[in-house]
Amino acid sequence: MKKTFDWSNVISNIKSYVTSHWFGLTGLLLLFIFLFITPSFLTTTEVGYLINLWVLIITAFVLIVGKVVQFFRKNKHFVPSESAPLISGLGSVLAIIIGLIVGLIIMYIVNPEQAFQGFLVILKGGFNQGMASFGTMIYYAVPIILTGLSVSFAFRTGLFNIGASGQLIFGAFVAVYIGIKWDFLAGVPFLHWFVAVLGALLAGAAWGAIPGLLKAYRNVNEVVSSIMLNYIAVYWVAIMIKADQSIYFKTQDRLYDILPSAVTPKFGLDQIFVGSQINIGIVVAILIAIILYIILFKTTFGYELKAVGLNRDAAKYAGVNAKRNIVLSMIISGAVAGIAGAMIFLDRGAWFKPEIVLRPEGFTGIAISLLGLNHPFGVVFAGLFYGSLERGGEYLNLLRFKHEIIDIIIAVIIYVSALGLILQKLVIKNLKWNSKIFQKIKRVILKESPSDQSEGGATQ
Amino acid sequence: MSFLDLLYYLVPLIIASAVPLSVVALGALFSERSGVVNIALEGIMLMGAFVGAVVIRSLQANSSLSTTSIALIGLGVGAVVGMVFSVAHAFASIHMKSNQIISATALNMFALAFGSFIARTFNNTIIISTQDVFRIPSVPILGDIPFIGNLFFKGAYLSTYVGVIIFIIGIVVLYKTKAGLRLRSCGENPQAADSLGINVYRVRYAGVLVSGALAGLGGVIFLMSFAQKFLMTVSGFGFLALAVLIFGNWKPNKIILAGIFFAMTRVLAVSFNAIPIISDLGLTLDHYLMVPYITTLIVLAFVSKNSAAPRAAGEPYDAGKR
Amino acid sequence: MDYVVELLHITKTFPGIKANDDVSLQLRKGEIHALLGENGAGKSTLMSILFGLYKPDTGIIKVRGEEVKIKNPNDANRLGIGMVHQHFKLVHNFTVAENIVLGMENTKYGFLSMDTAIKKIVELSDRYKLKIDPNALISDISVGMQQRVEILKMLYRQAEILIFDEPTAVLTPQEIIELMSIMRNLILEGKSIILITHKLNEIKLVADRCSVLRKGKYIGTVNVKDSTPSLLAEMMVGRKVSLELKKKPAIPKEVVFKVSNLSLKNPHSEKFLLKDVSFEVRAGEILCIAGIEGNGQTQLVEAITGLTPIHDGVVVLNNEDITQATIRHRNNAGISHIPEDRHRHGLVLDYTLEENLILQSYFEPKFQNRGFLKFDEIRTNANYLIQNFDIRSGKGPETKTRSMSGGNQQKAIVAREISRGSDLLIAVQPTRGLDVGAIEYIHHQLLNERDRGKAVLLVSLELDEVMMVSDRILVMYEGEIVGEFDPKTTTENELGLYMAGSKKREVQ
Repeated sequence: MKKTFDWSNVISNIKSYVTSHWFGLTGLLLLFIFLFITPSFLTTTEVGYLINLWVLIITAFVLIVGKVVQFFRKNKHFVPSESAPLISGLGSVLAIIIGLIVGLIIMYIVNPEQAFQGFLVILKGGFNQGMASFGTMIYYAVPIILTGLSVSFAFRTGLFNIGASGQLIFGAFVAVYIGIKWDFLAGVPFLHWFVAVLGALLAGAAWGAIPGLLKAYRNVNEVVSSIMLNYIAVYWVAIMIKADQSIYFKTQDRLYDILPSAVTPKFGLDQIFVGSQINIGIVVAILIAIILYIILFKTTFGYELKAVGLNRDAAKYAGVNAKRNIVLSMIISGAVAGIAGAMIFLDRGAWFKPEIVLRPEGFTGIAISLLGLNHPFGVVFAGLFYGSLERGGEYLNLLRFKHEIIDIIIAVIIYVSALGLILQKLVIKNLKWNSKIFQKIKRVILKESPSDQSEGGATQ
Repeated sequence: MSFLDLLYYLVPLIIASAVPLSVVALGALFSERSGVVNIALEGIMLMGAFVGAVVIRSLQANSSLSTTSIALIGLGVGAVVGMVFSVAHAFASIHMKSNQIISATALNMFALAFGSFIARTFNNTIIISTQDVFRIPSVPILGDIPFIGNLFFKGAYLSTYVGVIIFIIGIVVLYKTKAGLRLRSCGENPQAADSLGINVYRVRYAGVLVSGALAGLGGVIFLMSFAQKFLMTVSGFGFLALAVLIFGNWKPNKIILAGIFFAMTRVLAVSFNAIPIISDLGLTLDHYLMVPYITTLIVLAFVSKNSAAPRAAGEPYDAGKR
Repeated sequence: MDYVVELLHITKTFPGIKANDDVSLQLRKGEIHALLGENGAGKSTLMSILFGLYKPDTGIIKVRGEEVKIKNPNDANRLGIGMVHQHFKLVHNFTVAENIVLGMENTKYGFLSMDTAIKKIVELSDRYKLKIDPNALISDISVGMQQRVEILKMLYRQAEILIFDEPTAVLTPQEIIELMSIMRNLILEGKSIILITHKLNEIKLVADRCSVLRKGKYIGTVNVKDSTPSLLAEMMVGRKVSLELKKKPAIPKEVVFKVSNLSLKNPHSEKFLLKDVSFEVRAGEILCIAGIEGNGQTQLVEAITGLTPIHDGVVVLNNEDITQATIRHRNNAGISHIPEDRHRHGLVLDYTLEENLILQSYFEPKFQNRGFLKFDEIRTNANYLIQNFDIRSGKGPETKTRSMSGGNQQKAIVAREISRGSDLLIAVQPTRGLDVGAIEYIHHQLLNERDRGKAVLLVSLELDEVMMVSDRILVMYEGEIVGEFDPKTTTENELGLYMAGSKKREVQ
């Protein structure tokens, strides 16, 4: 691949990006400032809350509208009902909005006085305490991003990886085991941690291979086999832990602390996001997102995987070995889920308990994947969004709300996303894009005169 | 303990465990036989158990109804709650033709989140304690029959008997009535059913609602026979019921056997220390609890090529495609 | 005249095609009336209208002299019209009796009382001599018996008028004879039958009268006794002035591709899908396999291309035995394939045009380097093919293939397969569903390849195409090659006779 590293090129690209996107960037900047530097008046009075809420909403609205205007100016022949990413994207947004509204309704029923306050807390999410909460938000978002990447990768290849929980646990166990016992690696900086993560990767890959093999060679539905393997993983890990005195801290029913050399490094991120729990987990997650993106969209392997997922028959006729690809896809998916497990537990104070419980990250990963339109980068953003919601839930405890409301919102979002396709078709495609109202709006935006009508007319 | 004593101890426990499993598995059977895959059983059970627990606790504290009445009301409430909750799945899967796995996963998550939220908000804890009064020491007359009385009619729960009756009714309905025949046809060949004037959508709705009712009922049965303290979980019974369904190859007689087998492993897991031969094996609680899942996986590996799963299950039906 | 059903001046148009154009059919009481025509003639559409699956644009339907409106199959059933579909609508794990009563079960307090039903079924079965076992499972019985179950389904609902849609397609020769006698029995019991078919010998055996449709138009009705197979074939196929295609004479060279003794059995029934098929294709010639759909052509191509494993027979390409080779190996060894179902096998519709154009070659060094796709080359390739093969699309190489028209999708496949330069080009129904311009274009492409010395195997259902394009013709009927012809010396009528099974000839 030719890569011309031309600094002047890069700089001029950045310049042109900034100038063409000045509107949106200014808005984002304002929003950022506002969220982080909230004067106390706005946080302690009723009126203040409402102002806060409304400013947020208006800013967001203006940003979106600005982006839309800009977009239409650039693409005069754009037909909204034919743009699949737009429709899916709007579908995700719709799902989020409905989820939030349901949450708001429930909160209002349960505690009317503090409902809007609480809602604001949820919306502000990771920004409730400035940099500190933002950093912690990123920290908690990392495992979800990773499980989301795992599930979305499998989705792209036509498979449903509902076994991320089990792959996660198995990977976590191996990582922590290495973290406790392989002290010989402690000498070289970061090596111990790296090997632990690698162990998690391999463990998750192995656990993901099982449903893959079963599906490819024995036609076993991967959903059911994955559910079984989730439980088997949880039990087996518990068995392995309790059987090994050297790692099991019996009196506290947990594993011992991992050695400091195995803890996920921070690389100075905690200096930027002071007071937060952030570490380079986010870097790992973003790296993996990039790798998966490259695999899916830049390699022949990804080309084959997607073909099998989109049309297995045509892929077969093209000579693709569907069975091999199914297994490989599950291996990769499992590996990423395994790394998620490592990211959760390779930290000081993150104690691994041999409890028989399916970790929720495996299932929220599905939500993230759907919201992120099954695209690696979309998943990263959706994961951060979830992290923000989740942090909001934590701060809700300061008011008299229980943080489970966040899980309710997420569940509703997944449900509405599932209604997905039909909803999108019904709502979005049937918006009469040709109707007088939209045409008028279009004219105003594009500063067209009525005679330009026929040129920019949408075809149905 | 003598062997007989051991039996008298284990069998009621096994039955108490097998009944909720089988009832929920029956629900799964109804749903899948009509053509809709329903993995939301865990969540539906949870909802049923949760609401049931709340109702039972308040009835026990605030009313003077007899234990039997409270139990029956609780079971009824569980069934109704389960049915209502499953409407969401039916709507998504049948009307909106959405991915049945995703909508079911959403419902599972919702049930846990909703239950936890409401419980913590009003109770400050997710634990709902009810009075443990549902054990029947001995059924009059029947409990005095030698041997059989000790096995089946002493120390059992009301919910167990209700479950057995419901299970039998369910089987009869599915295989001996007109409604059952039509339901099964929709899961195997909806085009054929449609061409004979059967409304596939309505039948599938019925299938899912019945599965919801049975899962909700199963949740309350679980509550009453297992946990006197409700801890906002049904311990994976919903998924285990799916395993029972698959293990039983979608046939009721095999489902009963599968239910008993899985129940045995659970009971053994908890009480293996008391049993001479098995306690010597040196396995732990977790080993036994793992058995149902491993066996299901193995069965799946061998049976999936020739499974008796309803052929049209999981695929949304489109009346337009003739 | 005692007409029990009359379809008068029926017209039905679907987007882009007039399936029925002023078609009339009159069924007398107590007769077996055959409905004859090639694929796409409009037979199924007409019967679907009678059975309530479609509504006619114009025209009326009369049943027993009275005009009726049939809005759905239930209406049809109530009028006494029943249809035995080509693809059975049976629940495989129900018994025969359960399948028959489904939808009108006898019940006692809600419980099924199958005894009364079974008694009635046995009675019907004896009366009409339809041998069945009411308690057998559908999955356990033969295809012939399954068909009898479908017939009983209708008789149980007191159908007086029975429509059979290509009933012999799935039957063995013995079962066909049984079916013929069953139909005669039904007539003796006062029923009236419409038989949709393309098989002339069967018409001769059982039908009283025969109506012929061709390309949506009604050609005529004849008494079977007074007509000959040739007449029927001529009506079915028609004598047409074909658009002349200028082509150079073929100069066939060495044998590129050879199939020997290929046989294939249907795993579920005992029917032979392919029976001892043998032929050769030479470089520089177009060999066409003609025949009516469902006579083994699909199975033949699937076996040759590797989609279906071969247990009986040998396939050789350029002197290499590829009988057991993988699909990719066959593709690389020199087979290009324009598939029958372009959406299922030919394209990944959600991919862009340029992505689909490399579907068979993405792994070649030209398009990838150590696993990474070379997007520049892919784009160049797409532009080149778009230019040279006149592929029209909304956004050029970036177009989502799903949004392209059928004709252009096909052109994309043709472009892809031809540009691979394989020695053997297999084209199955390459012009199906295309407009005249696209059809002409593809024919030119095929001839080009042939002139460049490639071997072309064309499978087609359109006789004009067969006559115009090919250098040599093989006709397939019921899985066998029943004749070899030279387009210069044969006629469409003669081909029609062989396609309908009326004749058979030894092939060299």
